[in-house]
Amino acid sequence: MSVRKSRIYILGRRELGRMTKRPIYLLAMICAPLFCFIFFTTLMDEGLPSNIPAGVVDEDNTSLSRQILRNLDSFQQTEIVQQYSNFSEARSAMQEGKIYAFYYIPAGTTEKTLRSEQPSISFYTNASYLIAASLMYRDMTMMSEYAAAGVGRETMMARGYTMDQAMGFLQPIRIDMRAVGNPWLNYSIYLNNTLLPAALMLMIMLVTVFSVHTELKDGTSYEWLDEADGNIVVAAIGKLLPQTVIFSVMSCLYLIWLYGFLGFPLRSGLLPMLLAAVMLVMASQGFALFISSAIPSLRWALSLCTLWGVLSFPICGFSFPVMAMPPALQALSYFFPLRYYFLIYVDQALNGLSLSYSVWYYTALLGFMMLPLTDIRLLKRTALKYEYTY
Amino acid sequence: MENNWFKTLISVAVNEMNHALKDSGVLLFFVVVPLLYPLLYAYLYNGETIHEVPVVAVDECHSAESRQFLRKADGTPDLKIISYCADIGEARELIRRHKAYGLIHIPSDFSKELAEGRQATVNTYSDMSGLLYYKALLSGCTQVSLSMNREIKMTRLSGMSDREKEVMTKPIEYDYVAMFNPQNGFCTFLIPAVLILLIQQTMVLGVSLLAGTERERRMKGLEIIGDYNTSPLAILAGRGMCYFIIYSGICLYTLCIVPKMFNLIQLWQPQDIILFCIPYILSCVFFAISISYFVKERESCFLLFVFASVPLLFMSGISWPASNIPAFWKWFSYIFPSTFGINGFVRMTNTGASLYQIRHEYICLWIQTGFYFMMSVMIYIRLFRSDYMPDVKYIRQAALQRINRRKEKIGERVNRIRTKFDR
Repeated sequence: MSVRKSRIYILGRRELGRMTKRPIYLLAMICAPLFCFIFFTTLMDEGLPSNIPAGVVDEDNTSLSRQILRNLDSFQQTEIVQQYSNFSEARSAMQEGKIYAFYYIPAGTTEKTLRSEQPSISFYTNASYLIAASLMYRDMTMMSEYAAAGVGRETMMARGYTMDQAMGFLQPIRIDMRAVGNPWLNYSIYLNNTLLPAALMLMIMLVTVFSVHTELKDGTSYEWLDEADGNIVVAAIGKLLPQTVIFSVMSCLYLIWLYGFLGFPLRSGLLPMLLAAVMLVMASQGFALFISSAIPSLRWALSLCTLWGVLSFPICGFSFPVMAMPPALQALSYFFPLRYYFLIYVDQALNGLSLSYSVWYYTALLGFMMLPLTDIRLLKRTALKYEYTY
Repeated sequence: MENNWFKTLISVAVNEMNHALKDSGVLLFFVVVPLLYPLLYAYLYNGETIHEVPVVAVDECHSAESRQFLRKADGTPDLKIISYCADIGEARELIRRHKAYGLIHIPSDFSKELAEGRQATVNTYSDMSGLLYYKALLSGCTQVSLSMNREIKMTRLSGMSDREKEVMTKPIEYDYVAMFNPQNGFCTFLIPAVLILLIQQTMVLGVSLLAGTERERRMKGLEIIGDYNTSPLAILAGRGMCYFIIYSGICLYTLCIVPKMFNLIQLWQPQDIILFCIPYILSCVFFAISISYFVKERESCFLLFVFASVPLLFMSGISWPASNIPAFWKWFSYIFPSTFGINGFVRMTNTGASLYQIRHEYICLWIQTGFYFMMSVMIYIRLFRSDYMPDVKYIRQAALQRINRRKEKIGERVNRIRTKFDR
């Protein structure tokens, strides 16, 4: 046992030496993930985008229409930046990207209101910028409710109804909407909890494949195997362990950054998430090692891992739910380690369930860690037979 | 002389094209990825949005009104009630097991409050693992409450005409129009941006792979592929032409055919899109050439550029609105052609903007083209001018010596290891 341990130690030192020789390791293992952590969290620092620019076409131009517009401007997500004289001007501004939405108050709105003819006010959003559009839509619906209720409430209270009675008449059924775990609808919480580990996972897969295959490419795979006394499992562990440590440290960094400094919800306590993060590191390594054993070409192994890593982002279902995808892709989602990390995050950090609910997800990650055991013998064969052509 | 220069240009371009076509790695990026990724992504998001989100209902009121509410909620396209639970605990358990993503709870005093003319409350809880669940639950329940509210109010207002009642219950009508993406769909919103980004990223990867190969061969003293003894400018122009031609085809495919296949919105004018693609491809070409200078090894470029795709997508302001991107990242995003490419193309194809209306992006793309062209010229002068070029013969000799020394040193050991482990 101690012989093996010392072999792993020797191999680990050898790997560290190799890593320091190539600056790409520093860039890929530390700089790129750090950049991602900082980029995404500072980008969405606001949590919920506020004061998104909107425009107005007020063809009515009366005190009533101006009052409606003032009401709209007071909402948090919308800021009216510009008034346009007609519809096509506003539409053009939207096409130019100056505004994301505009209100259209047609001429005669006030007159119609006074004549009790029920005028209509239109709200146009540029829905090809989906997030901005849906936030402004929310403002608009709230506003229309309030405005309608406001007018009616004042009339009724003037007639001697109490506030309760007035509201009971104007809005008999009220929806009390509760967003469990993220009551602020904070986008940063919603996205970054998965984006950061996803970026890290992508780098882990690529670095793992790269480091294994450069042995073949440089023609040093003989030495590598020799150091491990011909045991490919020991060789692989010795090689990947230093990377596991570094990537786990990076995982801890984002966990501390998200849950410690930015105060994201962590209802389960740190331990389940820490376990999940470290397991994700090893599962990604396991998956990448599985691929690099199965495919003896650096280029193709890297390409497949790239495909897997990049596809992980949409297919793990953190932005677009898996259940809305085509059935074939729903089935495919089971083969992505990130999917399980995401499910663990939802159960643990977001909803604070007991560990028993997530046991299967942890097991799946464990399965990915064990995956290379099935085909690692192929890697040994490749390592011995590989003829590098200069 | 003019003719001669032109001939070299063509020969460089043809050489480079041969090269790219022979290298399976380059082929992968120039052809396979641009062909397959758009299909995969469009297929993934083709559902546009989520329908029939499974929710559970807890009806503690058991009245005609509460049943009507739930029936209507079940009838909306957004929601599907999969189970009626006896209490909240049972319902929560279903949510914990990911059988349902929301909960509609109608308290026991619901119908009583309504009958007494007070405001009755319906509680809804949404699982926040996805914002689309929240959106579906909110819009489903709001629709139901609006329609029921209207009915309730109208029955309470006796002695008025129907029209009077309507006006009384809603003095001002509000219309909502989701322009340019009427379904509020994910596919329409994300795919055009992904398509444009793909062009830049595959180009950078492919060009870097070519440059990395050349660099490696140079270090090993092997023959440098291509025409290293012509003028650097001709090499740059020839290669640029080669990439430009390949990507004109790719653009036609990703920007015209793929959207057609998946019925995405396409409001652009043909002449506008052609005029727009020229600076975009050119800026990508020279951007890729400039970047590829820093690539020392064939495969190491993968590691960094692949990862950059996701931040680049967010930087463009397609998802998080550009008006709310911190100033530093905004300036940073101006380095990349994809930022302007995405915004320009999305506005042209989704909102039908003319070239004039995206002039800001268009001009910026030309500025980038100019800037990266200058960079590329400097790089190529450094790489290919004969007086900067190290003597190829000398390098080759040195490299061969190095290799032989190494072979001698490890050769014996290699044989020993091989006989030891290989059965």
